[in-house]
Amino acid sequence: MANRSGTAQRPNGQTQGKICQFKLVLLGESAVGKSSLVLRFVKGQFHEYQESTIGAAFLTQTICLDDTTVKFEIWDTAGQERYHSLAPMYYRGAQAAIVVYDITNQDTFGRAKTWVKELQRQASPNIVIALAGNKQDLANKRLVEYEEAQTYADENGLLFMETSAKTAMNVNDIFLAIAKKLPKNEQNTGQTGSGQGRRLTEDNPDNKTVMNCCK
Amino acid sequence: MIVEMSLQLLKHPQMQFGATTFFAKQHKGDTCGSNGLPLTPNSIIIVGRAQILKTFNCKYLCQYLDVIRGKHERTIVVSQYCGEPLVSCIEKRPFDWQEVRQIAFQCIGGLQVLHKKKIIHRTLSNENILLQANNEIKLFNYGLYHMSDAGSLVSFPILHVLYTAPEVFLNGLSNSIADPKCDIWSLGICLAELILNKLLWSSLKLGQRIRKVLSMLQASTSILEKIAREHNCLERYLSIPDDLKDLIEACLNVHPNKRPTCEELLIKPCFDSLKPKDMAEKNEDIYRPFQIFTLHEFYHWWQLAGGDVPQELKKQGLIRSTPPILSIPSLVLIEGTILGQDRNPATLYDPRIVKMPLDTLYQRFAHIPFQVFYPLIHSQSDIIEKSNPPPYDATGLPLIIKERDPEYQLHRVILLRRLLHGYPFTSDLIVDEAKKDIPPLLRGEIWAALLSVRSNYATEYMRIDKYTHTSTDRQIEVDIPRCHQYNELLSSSEGHKKLKRILKAWVYKNSQYVYWQGLDSLTAPFLFLNFNDEAKAFACLSNFVPKFLYNFFLKDNSAVIEEYLCKFSQLIAFHDPQLANHLRDINFYPQLFAIPWFLTLFSHVFPLYKILHLWDKLLLCDSSFPIHIGLSILTQLRDRLLTSGFNECILLFSDLPEVDIEKCVALSSCTYENTPKSITSREHENEVYHKKSNLDITGVSLNELKNELCPRISVRDVANILLKNPHKMLLIDIRNTRAYKRCSVVNSTHIPFSSVSFTENIIENVGRDSDLLKSKGEKIVVVVGDEETDLETFPKFLLQCNISKVCVLHGGFNKFLELPASLSIPCASVGDPSERQRN
Ligand SMILES: Nc1nc2c(ncn2[C@@H]2O[C@H](COP(=O)(O)OP(=O)(O)O)[C@@H](O)[C@H]2O)c(=O)[nH]1
Ligand SMILES: [Mg+2]
Repeated sequence: MANRSGTAQRPNGQTQGKICQFKLVLLGESAVGKSSLVLRFVKGQFHEYQESTIGAAFLTQTICLDDTTVKFEIWDTAGQERYHSLAPMYYRGAQAAIVVYDITNQDTFGRAKTWVKELQRQASPNIVIALAGNKQDLANKRLVEYEEAQTYADENGLLFMETSAKTAMNVNDIFLAIAKKLPKNEQNTGQTGSGQGRRLTEDNPDNKTVMNCCK
Repeated sequence: MIVEMSLQLLKHPQMQFGATTFFAKQHKGDTCGSNGLPLTPNSIIIVGRAQILKTFNCKYLCQYLDVIRGKHERTIVVSQYCGEPLVSCIEKRPFDWQEVRQIAFQCIGGLQVLHKKKIIHRTLSNENILLQANNEIKLFNYGLYHMSDAGSLVSFPILHVLYTAPEVFLNGLSNSIADPKCDIWSLGICLAELILNKLLWSSLKLGQRIRKVLSMLQASTSILEKIAREHNCLERYLSIPDDLKDLIEACLNVHPNKRPTCEELLIKPCFDSLKPKDMAEKNEDIYRPFQIFTLHEFYHWWQLAGGDVPQELKKQGLIRSTPPILSIPSLVLIEGTILGQDRNPATLYDPRIVKMPLDTLYQRFAHIPFQVFYPLIHSQSDIIEKSNPPPYDATGLPLIIKERDPEYQLHRVILLRRLLHGYPFTSDLIVDEAKKDIPPLLRGEIWAALLSVRSNYATEYMRIDKYTHTSTDRQIEVDIPRCHQYNELLSSSEGHKKLKRILKAWVYKNSQYVYWQGLDSLTAPFLFLNFNDEAKAFACLSNFVPKFLYNFFLKDNSAVIEEYLCKFSQLIAFHDPQLANHLRDINFYPQLFAIPWFLTLFSHVFPLYKILHLWDKLLLCDSSFPIHIGLSILTQLRDRLLTSGFNECILLFSDLPEVDIEKCVALSSCTYENTPKSITSREHENEVYHKKSNLDITGVSLNELKNELCPRISVRDVANILLKNPHKMLLIDIRNTRAYKRCSVVNSTHIPFSSVSFTENIIENVGRDSDLLKSKGEKIVVVVGDEETDLETFPKFLLQCNISKVCVLHGGFNKFLELPASLSIPCASVGDPSERQRN
């Protein structure tokens, strides 16, 4: 399984150049393959019977980009609309987001657009958003045209790729593209391991609402 | 003597079973379903479909016991097997007319049961009609056609050429128009063989036999007569009484639609002499005597005693392993098609039946006293009680060992099935026994009893609409294929259908609630345990939710969940201040990791076998138990958590490491029992299970709760402890001196709030009483104030000084004044040396 490109590496202790940490969040309708994309990116695996995500899951992965080490702190969220009110807890303070839809399901694309809108309104203004049309391996059952998604992405200034967590197509590439686009200034460099995750709640002190804060 | 009697019980001639094996159809190469994911192996679909067969309990049918998957889609079917197949009796001894009538009657009885359940035998033959020592018959192997979904899941034809109805050949074997009438034809042939006492066309080859069957279509005379002529037994034919002739002729009608049904056959005059005469006989099934043990139980013990079906099949040469080199394909095309790997069709289905040897079990149980099979349940007499054999002692053994000890399980199963038989009158006894342990074989029923499932559950379930499309359907549909799919039953298509129906029924029935992702996982254990009783699984879920997850599935459940998580944090603080302080320091809030724990009561985070053991205990506790489980998990991972920062901690929980469930159960039971109830009491508890008065904690708002790091304790709990175990409690009164002097609890420690400096977290800051706190051990520290005192800072300070078991008296000192006489505690006022009893 050649599923990981040479650039994606686990941290190996070598600290040539800068280290940047970014918080990245995955959003999208249930069962479009968010968890599968993360699993493919972080562990190079694909589980056919990937369990559903409740609340959210957290994972990290480090990749090397020229002389910079980029560490992603990834929040993989639950897709069900009901868990929506949890989402701000995860995307607040995120520097990047991947909004995922399933190319064989038009509704999930509609849902992805809603997420993009919400991010543009509510998330940090400089957030890098990527749109991922997942399950590209099922292109013969496609219901969302590539061009349609590409046009939408262009209009909204999003990165866009069609991916497949199953075949690993474009999975590393989309993370890499995000890493390239992220600003690597002082603010984001820091020692590995210091909880960037803290932002999660620090940025959001008065909103500890767990679910359905009903806005 | 008495021991011999128990061996006789075990050696009952019908307590025997055998196994057959075949291969399910293999999916070609790596074909995928329309969702791009691998197709469910056919053997799993078969396992799912076969489950229902295990529930058939009719004396004319061999009971199905198990379906086991082997390698490469091998499927092994275990079923009761006893008596002598009719083929081996025919031509050996004649059957008299009455015997034939009886056999016919019983076969039709068996078929009728099957047809009512929409199951077609399809392979009825004299090979699988087994004659018992008591002259009754049992049909065998009647489930193959059903479990293989009319043969579509296997690649061999399911029929017995000689006995197959002609229309089956005419319609084509793969064409699965399922018509129970084909069984009636087969029955006709069976009876013809029997009545002519001749094995038909036994010397002919396969092709010739098929031609013979088809030639019946052209028969101008009676088919039975034609058969008799061809076998030179016209004389015998002519001597057959008319009623029997008529019966067999009716079965052998070439037009399936003119062939009678089982019901029509049963009213034929030939059975007049066999019909049950009185009510008692008619109601035999209703009044069936209590079976001391069932064949399923017997099979279970056999397995525990080392019985291994695949191993036996290997010994008998039914399972042969071929060297791997022989399974290499001859040719693989570049796009992945594999050629030349086909299995030898002759090995796809093996008609042989392997009887399972029972000697090991007999030996193992040889010494068991007879009384064990008749456990004493109620007795007021010492003499009787003492005459009972001493209980089999398994205390102290690890649960895993107990569950695998055949003798222990024999005792437990015998006892608990008796108790279940008496449910609901035996509820209390069942609870008592469940506290010891729950025998896995009866877990489904015991859980239902612990959850007070009522006897009308099936009708209730039937009334619920499980089919109308709703907006929740998509979510349910995408969740089910991700729910505990490592389990054969839950990943089978039957399992998917059942889970969907239960979830839809639940959503329909509970209009105040909605479907939250996770409800699927929560339902899975119930479905797994009651796979053949969907309604019971539903009833268990329906009673489980209000008891343990009251209002968790409200559309807006934020208040409920937040309160729950706050109580979780407080419980950590109560028992493990050091850990609580660390987690707070790194901003590691339960919101980030514990929602799936509590929303699914761990059914989303643990594999099924662990959930079962965890819930065995949970069902005996109340809705606060889950937070103790949560605490026990943290405790198990404590060392790693204490040395880790935020990221490491959260990663630890994204991929929960091996958690030892027995330890987890032990730890959580321990804290559960040693924590005053009010520490974990919640506003959102179900009042049905938690009645509250002015002595309990009520009226705490979520905002207040969020600011309180230490839990509150009720005056009821404080009074109880003070009266029963005063040495287990340290009462710290932080009111001002004037109030304290006016009235205080005897032996309470006075540390006025204003006397403590909170600038640093040093316990010495409380003054001379700091030693008392430092050496307090396991004592509960109750902070008592009144309306004028700050009740957040001081407990928080104690917590930060790593003082454990700190809590705050709810309602302050004045609550003591509300205590009833039965709970009144000694109070005194300084200056008045005589203690006075208040009430
Ligand atoms: N064919 C195909 N299936 C996928 C792909 N990614 C995910 N899946 C499947 O889609 C289902 C849902 O995936 P999951 O990662 O749980 O989705 P999430 O709810 O968005 O996290 C699972 O059964 C996956 O195996 C893909 O790229 N191709
Ligand atoms: Mg997911």
